[in-house]
Amino acid sequence: MALIDRLPPTARRVELHTDTALNRSIQERSDAEVVRLEGASADQITRRLRQLDEEWDIERWLQTNAPILVLLGVTLGATVHRRFLLLPAAVFSFFAQHALQGWCPPIPVFRRLGVRTQREIERERYALKALRGDFDAVPRKEAAPVSERVREALRAVDR
Amino acid sequence: MEQRSDRIRRHTAREVLRRIDDSTTANLAHWADQPPQEIQQRLQALDREWDTDRVLEVEAASMGLLGLALGAFYRPRFLALPAFVAAAVLTHALTGRYPLMPIFRRLGLRTAKEIARERYALKALRGDFAGMARSSEAAATASAIGRTEPGRPEPDDPARPELH
Repeated sequence: MALIDRLPPTARRVELHTDTALNRSIQERSDAEVVRLEGASADQITRRLRQLDEEWDIERWLQTNAPILVLLGVTLGATVHRRFLLLPAAVFSFFAQHALQGWCPPIPVFRRLGVRTQREIERERYALKALRGDFDAVPRKEAAPVSERVREALRAVDR
Repeated sequence: MEQRSDRIRRHTAREVLRRIDDSTTANLAHWADQPPQEIQQRLQALDREWDTDRVLEVEAASMGLLGLALGAFYRPRFLALPAFVAAAVLTHALTGRYPLMPIFRRLGLRTAKEIARERYALKALRGDFAGMARSSEAAATASAIGRTEPGRPEPDDPARPELH
């Protein structure tokens, strides 16, 4: 347990291993999108939310990229020379490092291309939902019993 | 909860989905009325929570390395294991199906989107988005009478919740 506690938080581990300037430019781009849609119609915001549904986060890119290299390395290792097995060994090791620590060699490349973490995507999503007024119906603390407030909050996030 | 966009949810059994969503609801009911510091700690705990992707990546990497070691030093036929693992991870990335995912999900592992859902519902319950309706009205009014530049967010614009 103690060891797990020392690992970086799941949702932030990639940001923590990305260059600060890159993080900032990714965030600025997300923020600009939210600002652009401030005052837009609900339909326009809904359209953007559908795009966010489709957006590939950085985990998905890695989970596509790594297996392809592994399959290539294993094939070459089995048919040409054993030393090609070093490729899948390196890929799997970096894959584990990415999972545990949040960094692996393709991460800087993906980040430079603007690939976002799921956390960054969700941040834009819920900011847009707030703009659309999805949270307006959530009652204030004293205004309703907790069960009703939870129900309204969930209805708002699911809208 | 809908979230059709979550490809892992699409391939999770309905009764397992219900159990996962029920526990989210119960968490929210428990945390909604806690003092602010407690809620802040809960939000941080949600950032730490291991999601399906992180567990899958650790599991796949371990299985793959094991298979490679066996294949390289014991019997070449064990190379089928890393090849299978790679094919499974690729399938997961493209379709959301993964052989071990039903087990992970039954153990209660949530997707990043499911965790974010609890996170933002809790922020809403804390009142982070309160003032939104009012402020957009105010912004609309203000820009209508030309007092502020339209589209310019206020410094503490609640539409831009801080990273924490």
